[in-house]
Order: sequence, then structure tokens, then C-alpha cells
Amino acid sequence: MNKSIFIVLAFSFILNSCVTDVTCTQTTYVKLTAGFYHVIPNDTTSLYTYVPFSVDSLTVQGLKFDSTTRQYHLVDSILYNKINSQSSINLPLNNFALQSKFKITFNTIVDTLSIYHTNINDYLSLECGCIKLHTIDTVIMTKHYIDSVKITNHNVNALNAENIRLFK
Amino acid sequence: MQRIFVYLSSFLICLSVITASAQKKKQIVLPPDSTKWLNGLTVHVDAASLIIPTFSSNVLYSSEGGIQLDLKHKIFPTLELGYGGANKLEADNSGFKTNGLFERIGVDFNLRKRKPDSKPTNNLFVAGVRLGMSHFNYNVTNVSVTDQYWGGTESLNFLNQSSTKIWYEFVVGVQVEVLKNFYMGWYIRNKNLISQDNPGAVAPWYIPGFGQNNGASWGFNYTLGYHFLSPKKNLMRNKIPNQTTNNQLKK
Repeated sequence: MNKSIFIVLAFSFILNSCVTDVTCTQTTYVKLTAGFYHVIPNDTTSLYTYVPFSVDSLTVQGLKFDSTTRQYHLVDSILYNKINSQSSINLPLNNFALQSKFKITFNTIVDTLSIYHTNINDYLSLECGCIKLHTIDTVIMTKHYIDSVKITNHNVNALNAENIRLFK
Repeated sequence: MQRIFVYLSSFLICLSVITASAQKKKQIVLPPDSTKWLNGLTVHVDAASLIIPTFSSNVLYSSEGGIQLDLKHKIFPTLELGYGGANKLEADNSGFKTNGLFERIGVDFNLRKRKPDSKPTNNLFVAGVRLGMSHFNYNVTNVSVTDQYWGGTESLNFLNQSSTKIWYEFVVGVQVEVLKNFYMGWYIRNKNLISQDNPGAVAPWYIPGFGQNNGASWGFNYTLGYHFLSPKKNLMRNKIPNQTTNNQLKK
């Protein structure tokens, strides 16, 4: 009996802290991935083969629409600044607009990439908060260096999968 | 040669002793289990949950109690009811608030083996299982989304969210009768969620009766209980067979 009471009292003092503060371990990095490809036609089969290639002296910068001046101006931060041997680029889409526009400079040739998209709230947890996922509707690009564009995956999320292909 | 003789003779002695004791054991006839099926019920409250706010910086609060039937001092069907909640505020001012009722149903088994000739003890070492459920509403507020490249911030509120969670528990505990019919005890619980959140859903941070929504959690209860005995009719009924046996013996 006494032994049993001792066991009960001993365990009555064992009380764990009930709240554990957890830091966010999930990735909140949501960016569109665009790959560079050469299109090589096959004369015998009349099919095309897509071969990835790397570009040199690549500069990428966002173009933000200013509603007061009604003009696009360059975002201060440069995403890629004269980077060599780049086979793909990661582009952050605008969380609070339905269009994201980028100025892409291949050495000295400049192209403009316009991506029209919708934004979806994705709640992760109380610690990680909420991120914005995107669904690509349309992609339009000037054809100074790049010949054509193709959407391969409309869903832009944290999985880092390729979303569009830029063909040369 | 002498050593072999000593070894063999000692082996045979041991064998004969074991055989004799086995025969004696066979001769013991266990008396029929005279313990009643229903031996009353215990009503208990959890004292540990009252001090949880102190340990959780007033983030969590809970109170619970239960009813436990005593069947043959071996099986203890249990119903537990409680009320719990959370009011959590993160460093970035995002918050989570909930409160709700929860219930658990299950059974405990007394692990203490009773000697055949001893009286049933009121001090128990039990292990059991529970099935818990809670339906509750919650608010997630001031969740900020920022765009570090393009600029801009948005604050989101997810109000009046509703959820039903089901979980199972493994429990181990001790109950001791400290005064006549007054019990003290503790339980350790390993809780595991059955119903999981869908990806992208606004999942609750805390589940009343379960704890933080991490798939599995641990719990501790310190119970204070009072044991209500069976009605006297049952006691009398149980005494009748013994009395008739004595009368028959006298004849």
C-alpha cells in the first residue's frame, strides 16, 4: 500500500511542458522554372527533338507596372546578373497581380517574357504561415533571341518542376 | 567415477523434488472466482489538466473527468468527457484560437495478478485503450503573405473553420485507494490521430483532448476519484450462495 502511494506521488510531479515551439521546416520557395532548349528536327521521322542548352551572360530583371505613371519600370533587385552556363532560370511570380513580366537579356539581345497567372492561397501551418501558388494561363514572349515558348506544367508550386520551355 | 556418481545422484534428487512439487501443484484445486461482475463505479476528475495553463504559458487550457465501471476487478470500461482549448500567438502576430468538447471511450485492464487465496485489492496497475473524438471550431488570424521580390503584403484570416478529429490512445496507469473509496492515480497516454488533414487545408494547430496537431502526442493525467459501491441488493445476492452452502454443511 505504502509503496503504491509512493509511486502515485512520484509520478504526480512528472508533468511535461505542453507546448512545443516548432520552427517551420517546410519549403516556402515558390518560383516558376523555365528551361532553355534547342529544337532539332528529325528529317526521317518529321519529329522534333528538344535538347537543353546553356546560355552565357544572362541577365534577368522584373518589370513592374506603375499604376500612376501607367508604365513598366525595372524592379530594383536583379534576379540573374550576367550569369554564364545557365540552362534554366527560376522566376518569382507576383503574388498580388495577375501578370508577371521579366526583361531577359541574352548577352546584348533583349527579350520580354510576360506570364499571365492566377494566385491561390496555400496555408501550410501556423509556424510556416501561408504561401501563394500560381496557375499559368498564358505566356507571351518577344522573339529577338528566343524563337518560341511552351507551357509544360501550369502549376507553379514549391516542387521546383519545369513550367515553361524557351526554345532557340 | 565418484564425481559422476555425485553428479547423477544430485540430478536425480533435483528431478524428484521438481516432480513432487508439480504433483502437489496439480492437487491444488482453485476455488471458483466469487468476485461479482459489477463492483461499482468510480467517478474521477483530472487534476493535471488544471495546472496545464501554468506549464503552457496560458496558451492551453483543459479540464476533464470520467466514469469507470469495475467489472470483476479486472475489466474497467471507461467514458471520459472534457473541454479544452488553445489561444496561441506567434511572434509574427499570427494567431490560433479554439475551444471545444471532447470525449473518449475505452477500457482498462488490471495487470496485477491476484493470488488465489487473497482478497481483491483496490490498488490497480492498469493498461488500456481509448477511442477519442472532438468536433470543434477554430480561427486562424493575421497570417501574413509577403512578396519579397515584387513587394506587397497581405494579411489573411481563416475564421469559423470547423473540424472533427478521431484518435486512438494507449494508456498505462496506476490507481490507489488512499482513503476509503477515495482514489488517486496517474495515467500516461500515447495518442495517435486517425483522421489526417488534407494538403492545403487550413489545419488546426491544436485539437481539444488530443493536443498539438502533430499526428501523435503524449498526455498525462493525475486523477482524483471516488468509488461508488454497488447497490446493497447486489451485495446480498452475492452472499446468498455462501449461506446456503453453510446450511447444507450443518445438515
